[in-house]
Amino acid sequence: MKHTLHTRRRFLRTSLLGGAVSWTIPAFLERTFFALDAMAADMAIQTPTGKDAPILIVLQMAGGNDGLNTVVPLTNDAYFRARPTLAIPGGRTLRLSDHFGLNPKLVGLKSLHDEGHLAIVQGVGYPNPNRSHFRSTEIWHTASDSAVTEKYGWMGRYFDACCKGEDPAVGVGIGNQTPQAFAAPEPRGITFARPEQFRFDLKNASDRDVSDGFFRSMNDFEAEQMDGASIGMLQGHADGEGDALDFLQRASLDAMMSSDKVAEIIKRTRPGVSYPANKLADSLNLVARLIGGGMPTRVYYAAQGGYDTHSNQIGAHEKLMEELDSSLAAFCSDLKAQGLFDRVLLMTFSEFGRRVAENASGGTDHGAAAPLFVIGGKVKPGLHGEAPSLSHLHNGDLIHRVDFRSVYATILSKWLNAPVEPVLKRGFPLMSFV
Amino acid sequence: MLDMLPPKEWTLEAAAHLLNRAAFGGSPDEIQAFHAKGQREAVKSLLESGEEEDLFPAPGIKPMKKVRGLKDASMSPEERFALQKAINARAKEEVHEARMWWIHRMAETPFPAREKCVLFWHGHWATSIQKVKDPFLILQQNQTLRACAFGPFDRFAKEISKDPAMIRYLDLNSNKAGNPNENFARELMELFTLGEGHYTESDVQEIARAFTGYRINPETGSFLFSRKNHDPGTKNILGRTGAFDGDATIDLIVSNPQCAGFITSKIWNFYAGEYPSPSWNRILASQFRASGLRTGDFLETIFSCREFYSAKYRRRQIKGPVQWLVQTCKILERPLPDAKWINSTLQQLGQVPFAPPNVKGWDGGRAWISSSTLLLRYNMAGSLVRGGEASAPDIEKILPVGMPPEQTCDLLAGRLFQAPMSPALHARTVDFLKASDGSPASRRDLLHLLLSTPEFQLT
Repeated sequence: MKHTLHTRRRFLRTSLLGGAVSWTIPAFLERTFFALDAMAADMAIQTPTGKDAPILIVLQMAGGNDGLNTVVPLTNDAYFRARPTLAIPGGRTLRLSDHFGLNPKLVGLKSLHDEGHLAIVQGVGYPNPNRSHFRSTEIWHTASDSAVTEKYGWMGRYFDACCKGEDPAVGVGIGNQTPQAFAAPEPRGITFARPEQFRFDLKNASDRDVSDGFFRSMNDFEAEQMDGASIGMLQGHADGEGDALDFLQRASLDAMMSSDKVAEIIKRTRPGVSYPANKLADSLNLVARLIGGGMPTRVYYAAQGGYDTHSNQIGAHEKLMEELDSSLAAFCSDLKAQGLFDRVLLMTFSEFGRRVAENASGGTDHGAAAPLFVIGGKVKPGLHGEAPSLSHLHNGDLIHRVDFRSVYATILSKWLNAPVEPVLKRGFPLMSFV
Repeated sequence: MLDMLPPKEWTLEAAAHLLNRAAFGGSPDEIQAFHAKGQREAVKSLLESGEEEDLFPAPGIKPMKKVRGLKDASMSPEERFALQKAINARAKEEVHEARMWWIHRMAETPFPAREKCVLFWHGHWATSIQKVKDPFLILQQNQTLRACAFGPFDRFAKEISKDPAMIRYLDLNSNKAGNPNENFARELMELFTLGEGHYTESDVQEIARAFTGYRINPETGSFLFSRKNHDPGTKNILGRTGAFDGDATIDLIVSNPQCAGFITSKIWNFYAGEYPSPSWNRILASQFRASGLRTGDFLETIFSCREFYSAKYRRRQIKGPVQWLVQTCKILERPLPDAKWINSTLQQLGQVPFAPPNVKGWDGGRAWISSSTLLLRYNMAGSLVRGGEASAPDIEKILPVGMPPEQTCDLLAGRLFQAPMSPALHARTVDFLKASDGSPASRRDLLHLLLSTPEFQLT
């Protein structure tokens, strides 16, 4: 029992640093370590770790992106009729096919498309769409039916089903609040907007070394300092049961290990390419450094805000498109330069699209179905799904053709090699974008 | 009858355990005084709930009426949009104000156990500003929770069913005869009174009919019964047939034997720190029924019983973010930090009062802790310990100089953990004190380090 934390520490250190730290450890500890390893192998699915594991990045375009002005139905009269001031003339779009063109600001995405690294899934949504930002975001994060409130996230369920015993940083959220997608009975994943937030803050300490030593000794548990009083409480391993103190000690050990790793990577790595100056680019730059630096993370969540364009949409939306495009373009060339592009799949989503008809303020109100982008070295490029009809609407909104959980199921099954049903609770038709 | 705590087991640590769990803990002096009352009086004093409106005048928030301008045809779209924006900004400010008012009340009231109980009920009848939108309704519900917190559960359930914030949150306002909305009916059964598996789908549909016609008066923000939307017909609910209305339905549900146990299990978990075993919960439920479902009387029973003080519950509960904040400030005898700090910290730690994540409330327990929230607690503890000019805790009082390190260590253990430190923490602390130059800054460092431990997250 007394060696559980020690073993976990070694387990983490090995997986985090790829075995870079070699300790001479007693044989029985080694055995325990192999037992932990074997436990991981026993799980629902073998989880590849280290250099080959596939990585998923989920990017939320928060606020409700106007899908129709993102992937423009350039031959559809109904589109131009519904949007006398907002419609983008076909000639301005970046042509994808005879009938669809990208928003003119999406030049980087157009190149990715042309070189075969961009898939576009059209008509994504869910039955009985909810038009509240909060609720619809919750539905996307928890992968629930519209009428059901589900408290755990789809990634939380994925971590539970497939990544038990893996690194706590299996999920990384870039932002101030943990994405609801990570919610689980015992939450995993780490969240920070800036790496220095994810660090025990010693800047106000009068003697940093003394404080650091104390802090580490109380939070980074070495077997020898575990004393009689607390050892009795230690039981189980990895994610097993145990009492509250045991749980907290594991959590603080996890926090120490992950924050050391993040700090080490940030110190060691430099941005590979130049990124534009905006928040999304900062987030993606951070993700690229963490991936390149060898974080054992499998899923990243990032967000770009501002899509709630109820009025004066034209300028605002184009600016958002440009920001998205230039950030993604920089991110992709960064990953390519590092030879990591084939390991990465990035999907975008927005909690809903916008109403087909423009409103009287030169904007659009909350809608329903919309297209989303899937980017990566191994995607099957081009248009997928089906564009919703613009003449057959429901209360002025597009009717979805693809349930967003089909997109999730496809990613789980074909990209993360994970079983779908434990995560999404039932099966959904798989698609062919990857 | 329950086994009561024998007087000789009413130690200083037992008193601290009670004050921590039933309320938000206290400074060493407060715990001393609480202990000196003796257990009977201590428990009684917790469950008193006097008037204190003059101490905590509620923010003067008005109901958010439909703003005429929004429907005014002469208004341009831009003007309308700007008006909507201004309304949203005001609502955001008001809900912050209401939240700060409540958190200050938790920290400063002479009746903290009532506020703790209100926090419990807020998680039970979880209702969020995200959907309710109107800060007046949220504040009004908070007052209802306070008025009913210690009272009988059946009356409480009736009040909540007529609470306008709840009416809006669970769509009762669109529940009408001939076209029932089942949202409230389902949650009433599943989350508020019986739990899954103790009712049928047909019960849900029939109960929805019983609650038709519950509306909100748009002028006053109070409850309004709309007879024309109410379905007065015969319903079949939980095996009984009759022309039940909402109140009669609640009487039916509450008299179901499952209800008392459903509530006592949640109450026990909230205060003792884990769910009761089925056999223990049967005993708790019979106590709750014997007290006429009055929560105050039931709390008096559990705060007096020996089981509640058992070693397996002591210092084994993970503090929720609100508890962590209020209790830490009490322990450090410092004022609460400013509103902006509190808002952003509670948001990042995952517990924003008036904005529970969903109708199930907060999971609590281990769900409070992740690598990020733990590190955040550690870092935020640093600013609580160091504070600004006016709010920094009195380090000379908390950690006086000129005392032998062993003695200082015991003093700190009593204040911060209300229990002895683990040998490792004790040894580390003594070492630190011996090596320290004794400067106030270095003593604050030690305080920060002791708050940045797994042990400090427990109460």
